[in-house]
Amino acid sequence: MKAMLRQSFLLLALACLPAVGQALYYRDKVSWQSPVAASDMVTLAQARAWGGNAIWIDARPEKEFDQQHVPGAVLLNEDRWNELLPQMLATWSPEKRVVIYCSSESCGASREVARRLREEARLQNVFVLEGGWEGWLGRKK
Amino acid sequence: MNREALNRFWRIVAILIGALFIYAGVVKALDPVRFAGDIENYHILPWPVGVRLAFYLPWLEILCGLALIFRRLYSGALVLVLALMLVFIGATISAKARGLDISCGCFGHVSDQLSFAWHLVLDLVLITALVLLLFRQRALSRVAG
Repeated sequence: MKAMLRQSFLLLALACLPAVGQALYYRDKVSWQSPVAASDMVTLAQARAWGGNAIWIDARPEKEFDQQHVPGAVLLNEDRWNELLPQMLATWSPEKRVVIYCSSESCGASREVARRLREEARLQNVFVLEGGWEGWLGRKK
Repeated sequence: MNREALNRFWRIVAILIGALFIYAGVVKALDPVRFAGDIENYHILPWPVGVRLAFYLPWLEILCGLALIFRRLYSGALVLVLALMLVFIGATISAKARGLDISCGCFGHVSDQLSFAWHLVLDLVLITALVLLLFRQRALSRVAG
């Protein structure tokens, strides 16, 4: 039993070494305090103020998008990324800001789509909507 | 099954579990930011904790997998892998109970297509195998000691 515990602690300690190394490598590439850096979030009021200068992206599943979505929003989710990305890029231009939302404040899809648009499509001015779709519905009430 | 065949069988089981954990760890270690997002989706841990775990857990899985394959720190690896599985299954059930529809993140996004039921079955099979390996190891240690 003692040996088992000793070995477990040793493994737990050993795993720290590569983890710390990798964390140091990533130190400037990760937001350590919040899932999305505050500068990458946008409030509904701000996003609406951008008017036609904003492209709205719905990162929810297609079924939910079909039921209802922000007027003018484009569907772009990870399920059909390769198929939907070109359609989204066709509506994009460098001066436009991209606003991404998913179901609610806590869903992860909008963050993930935002990350991929920045890293894979190399887009700038990509923002995650605070409150997501729920927030949008809330403001409409 | 004679003793030698039984030994060989359990050795293969340990190697397979080790390989599975190495694979799961490598997939996550290659994209820790994505894994941090997967942890966040469970809504159990605050982000500052989850993101740090996202850098740590994949390496722990890789080391445990290697330990199971090469039989170094073997007992410790069995305990840790079992503990990881129990924590994971608890988190998955808790997420399901709260109505969260999430990707487990266990094998990066390779496992996104697996249903909740399949996850549970896979986890239970793994947990059973780990418990049996652990009992076997303890019995062997007693005999040796």
